[in-house]
Amino acid sequence: MKHDISLNVNGEIYNISVESDTLLLDAIRNHLNLTGTKDGCRAGECGACTVIMDGKPVNSCMVLAVEAEGSVITTIEGLNNGEELHPIQKAFVEEGAVQCGFCTPGMVMSAKGLLDKNPSPNTKDIRKAIRGNVCRCTGYKKIEKAILHAAEMINEDKKLD
Amino acid sequence: MSRTSMIGKNMPRIDAVQKATGQTKYLPDMNFPGMLYGKILRSTEKHAVIRKIDVTRARELPGVRAVITGKDIPELLYSFDQTVADKEILCKDKVRFLGDEVAAVAADTEEIAEKALKLIEVEYEPLLTVFDPEEALQDDAVLVHEEKNSNVAIKVVKDFGDVEKGFEESDYIFEDRIVTSRQAHCCLETRGCIAQYHTDGKVTIWGPTQIPHRWRKQVADATGIDRGKINIINTPTGGAFGSRVVMDTKIPIAVYLSKFTKRPVKMVNSREDEFNVSRTRYPFIVYLKTGVTKDGKILAKQARVIADNGAYCDEGAAVLGFAGVFYSVLYDAPNVSFHGDCIYTNNQPCTAFRGFGNPQMHYAFEIHLDRIAKELGIEPKELRLRNANKEGAAKATKANINTCTFNECIEEATKLTQWDKKYLEFKEENKGKEVKKGIGMATMLHTGFTTRFFGFNATDTFIKLSDDGIVSVITPIIEMGQGSSTGVAQIVAEALGVKMDDIRIINTDTDITPYDLGAYGSRHTVVCGHAAMDAALKAKEELLVAASEMFNCDAEELDCINGELFFKNDLNKPLATVGEVTEFTAFKLGRLISGRGRFVDELAPRGLVDEGYSIYIPTYSFGCQIAEVEVDTLTGEVKVEKITAVVDNGRTLNPILAEGQMEGAIAQGMGYALTEELKIENGRVVNNSFTDYKIMHAEDLPEIEVKFVESGDPFGPYGVKGIGECGLVPTAGAITNAVYNATGVLVGELPIKPEKILLGLEEENR
Repeated sequence: MKHDISLNVNGEIYNISVESDTLLLDAIRNHLNLTGTKDGCRAGECGACTVIMDGKPVNSCMVLAVEAEGSVITTIEGLNNGEELHPIQKAFVEEGAVQCGFCTPGMVMSAKGLLDKNPSPNTKDIRKAIRGNVCRCTGYKKIEKAILHAAEMINEDKKLD
Repeated sequence: MSRTSMIGKNMPRIDAVQKATGQTKYLPDMNFPGMLYGKILRSTEKHAVIRKIDVTRARELPGVRAVITGKDIPELLYSFDQTVADKEILCKDKVRFLGDEVAAVAADTEEIAEKALKLIEVEYEPLLTVFDPEEALQDDAVLVHEEKNSNVAIKVVKDFGDVEKGFEESDYIFEDRIVTSRQAHCCLETRGCIAQYHTDGKVTIWGPTQIPHRWRKQVADATGIDRGKINIINTPTGGAFGSRVVMDTKIPIAVYLSKFTKRPVKMVNSREDEFNVSRTRYPFIVYLKTGVTKDGKILAKQARVIADNGAYCDEGAAVLGFAGVFYSVLYDAPNVSFHGDCIYTNNQPCTAFRGFGNPQMHYAFEIHLDRIAKELGIEPKELRLRNANKEGAAKATKANINTCTFNECIEEATKLTQWDKKYLEFKEENKGKEVKKGIGMATMLHTGFTTRFFGFNATDTFIKLSDDGIVSVITPIIEMGQGSSTGVAQIVAEALGVKMDDIRIINTDTDITPYDLGAYGSRHTVVCGHAAMDAALKAKEELLVAASEMFNCDAEELDCINGELFFKNDLNKPLATVGEVTEFTAFKLGRLISGRGRFVDELAPRGLVDEGYSIYIPTYSFGCQIAEVEVDTLTGEVKVEKITAVVDNGRTLNPILAEGQMEGAIAQGMGYALTEELKIENGRVVNNSFTDYKIMHAEDLPEIEVKFVESGDPFGPYGVKGIGECGLVPTAGAITNAVYNATGVLVGELPIKPEKILLGLEEENR
């Protein structure tokens, strides 16, 4: 059955028509054409499709599109405004946290979910926050460092404000 | 400014910003107008004769644009190595494993394609099956390929000296049977492709590949289409690790679906497909026999490898080749024998995986060596040093070992970990404790860049400077996450004297890039980097000549550094930017600036006919890893506390990227040691998800310390050696030896799961 829904993604409203069983992941990728959110397993096991929904990181393959109506969603495309990188993205670039890059958008969104709640995490907090995100390339060390570095940058920016 | 300002510097990856912002378009993100979705009907039998395939109902389903079976396409057999070609794109008469390709559908949507698959009716007549490679060697075993006279698919035999004589002269002989697991690549991006068959007979294929130029040949072999008509466009790669060396069968199928529909066809694996039917690391059964003197000198070593080939041939020859050469050359023994066979079974086939057969052999021999050390009462480090290779030709194999840093790597690793102290202290500390500490080492010998297996090992690179000074590097470098495209850009920036930001790496497709074997065997940064350096130096010559005309001086008086021209004797005062010189060259001199570079490996053509190992490996890489663990003797659980990795990388091109290669490889090696095993029960994969097939997560990883020994390599650009694979090679051996050190239990079967350790402890207590 088709449902006409309206999704709030990255501050924009999208009116789309989806099936009852359309995943939020597929709505984002195929209906909104926002392909930064990656499809890695469709079973909630790899975290590549992580988006922020109402302030929390979620696997968008574990949410139905119709369930997401009324929620505020941020995808990787909504993280940076214009040309300026978000500090998490900047830290990922600088710390060598990116290799093949396929897990990166999900990893960055999980980091965002963490830092929004806990601005000064320790390594243990970071590992817990990305426990649902699989990376086959990096061995996670540079990712952990990047998230620590991002937290520092964000805290510095806040001080300046 | 230093002459090597770019080499050894932490430059951010050139593709990192696009990847971190989600802008990089991988194959699954691409869609073309008119595109159809392809799906494969796979065999539901493990070994059977196909009696009948009826596609009538599938063809009638609205939205279905083509349904094809083996009858619709040329009757051809293919393999990565065409001398052992044994696979049909679509099985016509017989299937040989659960998941073998039987028919394919192209439809308007994935859902319609899936529905159509369910409407295809296939009648099978089941045959006897064989899943264990040792059983497959028995006289009464069913033949997986009935036209062959045995299940032996590929054989590699290398004998040096006289092992029997060596065993006779030995004081002790040690024998072990060691088993390694079936490891899945688990790339985050699953395998996929888009194919377009054009009406003029040309074919374009988009997909993540490690070896685009050899894919052309593979597609041609599999489809019968003229290789010259095929262009492979390599899309950004979401992980590779060897899984994208051999063309996936989906590619020729997509080509034919496109030919029949005249539309682009996209096919992408589900995660389940990826586990159920995609090719994996070759599992080995290794029989080792080693003869030593009482003071630990190895006089003879013999390995018999039985590898599960699966139902079809793939990279078996290369995997046994790597296994053979590194087993034979690691430690300088006078008599060495390696016999390896890939054996057909009704399991899913195997393929290349980071290190080819070397991680298997290192695990086997390094744990075997620790048993020998314990039984002879010689400390493991000391036993290794007594058998170490030296620079020059190895005793038995005559392998030419240059820049030998074996001892240096061991010494450095033991120093970093305080090995000498811990090796003795842990034993004391462990007395009476349930949780026991252990420390274990494994040394590492790998290639510094590939083998000469193909009889060719070179490439070219073209560099052109635009009128505004932008430098385009036309190179076959493949970027699969390892950072080689950044490495090549750094090498060009250094050699030409330009800014990283002004470099564009053009590596998009086989119509454009020079012929090259591809990114595997830790070769690409070295081979492509070398050619790029040569091209950059040639372009620099032209640039300096043009600049000399601009400044009315001799070209020899000038230099170009970091995007600016200087008089060599006054490096503080820039004369002009590169862009100003290229603009002058274009509009005042009426010409352009470019350079063609080459990497030539003159010995490579002899690699094909080389019977021994004298020139098989151009240069060797050495290393040593030490694992520190805690083992709970009540549960058998292993907690890795720290991995210390020392590796000879020739010279570090980019420390942060080099460390990233090592850390990622060690994480895969830890998975190989502790958890990763694709379990096939009676021909069926039983753990086809990330929940059931456990790879390392962030919380599983210990502290990792990486240290580089920089030997400088005569082949590598600026002395660089490849390090893509060497991080994984010794890890499983080091961890297993650490557990042996802690508990006295040596687990000779990967992964070393708690139940195996408990079983070993029980046997010890008996």
